Amino acid sequence: MAENSDEIIVRAENLKKSFELSRKQQKIEKTGDRRKTAVNGLSFTARRGEIYGLLGPNGAGKTTTLRMLSTLIKPDAGDAIICGESIVKNPQKVRDKIGFMTGELKLEGFFTPDYLFDFFGNMHGLERETLKARKAELFSRFGIDRFAQVRVKDLSTGMKQKVSLVIAIVHDPEVVIFDEPTNGLDVITAKVVTDFLLELKAMGKSVILSTHIFSLVEKLCDRAGIIIDGKSVTDGTLEEICGGSTLEEKFFEIYHGVKGEEV
Amino acid sequence: MKLLALIKKEFHRFFHDPRLIITMLIPGIVIYVVYTVLGNIIWKEDSKDYEWTVQVYGTSEIVQEIESAAGELKLTFTQTDDIEAAQKAVEDGKLTALLVFPEGEKYQIYYSSSNEESLAFYSFTAAILTPYQSCDLSNGDMGASIMSGLLPFIVVIFIFSAGMSITLESVAGEKERGTLATVLVTSVKRSHVALGKIIPLSCIASIGAASSFLGVSLSMPKLMGTSIGSALGGFGFLSYFLMFVLILSVVPLITSLISLVSAYSKSVKEASAYTGVLMIFIMVLSLISAFVPLGEWVVAVPVLNAVACMQGILAFQLSVWQSLVSVGINLVYTALLVFAVTKMLSSEKIMFGS
Repeated sequence: MAENSDEIIVRAENLKKSFELSRKQQKIEKTGDRRKTAVNGLSFTARRGEIYGLLGPNGAGKTTTLRMLSTLIKPDAGDAIICGESIVKNPQKVRDKIGFMTGELKLEGFFTPDYLFDFFGNMHGLERETLKARKAELFSRFGIDRFAQVRVKDLSTGMKQKVSLVIAIVHDPEVVIFDEPTNGLDVITAKVVTDFLLELKAMGKSVILSTHIFSLVEKLCDRAGIIIDGKSVTDGTLEEICGGSTLEEKFFEIYHGVKGEEV
Repeated sequence: MKLLALIKKEFHRFFHDPRLIITMLIPGIVIYVVYTVLGNIIWKEDSKDYEWTVQVYGTSEIVQEIESAAGELKLTFTQTDDIEAAQKAVEDGKLTALLVFPEGEKYQIYYSSSNEESLAFYSFTAAILTPYQSCDLSNGDMGASIMSGLLPFIVVIFIFSAGMSITLESVAGEKERGTLATVLVTSVKRSHVALGKIIPLSCIASIGAASSFLGVSLSMPKLMGTSIGSALGGFGFLSYFLMFVLILSVVPLITSLISLVSAYSKSVKEASAYTGVLMIFIMVLSLISAFVPLGEWVVAVPVLNAVACMQGILAFQLSVWQSLVSVGINLVYTALLVFAVTKMLSSEKIMFGS
């Protein structure tokens, strides 16, 4: 297993993002404000070879943060440097350094895993030989060989998740960004995913994941940051955050501190 | 390499889906079958019952051409020197039509649109006479023949329909399903994603439009009771070439336009609604140009310029410079639309609704 180094591979500094609210959204949110701040000055760092978790309730700004890191959306203010490249100034270069997995990114059901792997390999500019070797390695590792020629629309949820995983890392990225990695998965596929994340870590890759599941952070993460209302309220190793309590106890202690008794 | 992979993917999607191929080809086949059957019914049954009595003023080889095309139809030509009397006879229904061939001038057909037999003769003759330069159709309410007036309009509508059937699904559909976002998270340039859609979709739309165009071209003469050779034989290579280039310039333009609307829309349903309005707008513009003579300024109006040029070519009023300028202008508009699609793909508000 690779040791964590102190090399900072992701540095997010003062990230801010707000969205315009439609009238319907204003009614749902019970607010007269035209804009909602999703992320409000978030900063954190992730090191090479570690799994960093963003823990927070729904609507805390976790997904928005990951979407900014993956360059799908731009921050209103602040920046993040990933493997030496700015997400604001050089998003295209960042995209070659990261693999992004989220429920909102889907694969076309018409194509086979085999075709899609080659296609996304080409999108990242991989040479044919590299692509062939990478496909053999990853398809064998995840057992995708058995259904490589079956159209994605005919695959089970677990199979689709495996295909999405290998396609996200087709270009062997330094950083893997994973939004809610086990959401909606059955226990067996969830195990495949968590094992895979640990394997990435062992390979010296950095993983940033978002979740609201305490056990997942305890099981996988070397360090974590708790986000509430778009702000980072604490950050560090699990020992530093928990200080003897369980993560769940500590989280609610912090949560009550920030939000009062409202839960 | 990335652009090539994007283009190949769209072609793979189309050519490996028999349903898409059938959807694209079937309109042309249906049009051909329906028009041919209709033509056969009209001309093999009803027309045989007509007894066309036509008077001719002046002489022309066209009369022999009509006689030979008429085949088994009952058609009698007689010479006349009294145009006014013949015109009155047409109006009174005593004569089917009058053909006038003044020396050195355009020929004229006098017929009665309220008389079914006379109208049938006019439709039959108009198709045959198209290659013999334009004519004055004195009793007709159209300024040009069916072929020259409506065919370009039909071509544009077929291009639009073919483009719509694949582009909405490929752009708005992929955006709605989240598969486009998966491509956007890779390091591929947004301009390549735009071109990777528009180039193959234009090629595929061309196949669909060609199918429909062939269906109409091959069956229209049958519907009008003449032969393909008679209807289209009078056009030279340059005319065909310019028509081909004009059509080629319209296909990517329309595909880009539908791609732009699709990229902007949140769903296929929304994109369909917008493109429906767009199609009606283009249909109205094209129809106007079929009946109202437009000035040279028309070359600056995308799509309409190609329609007007094709109408000119089919009416034997070929303008090479106007056609080439129209093609150039359409390509400029296409480039602008590709740029706009690229901008939309780069816009997080449009692509991710944030």
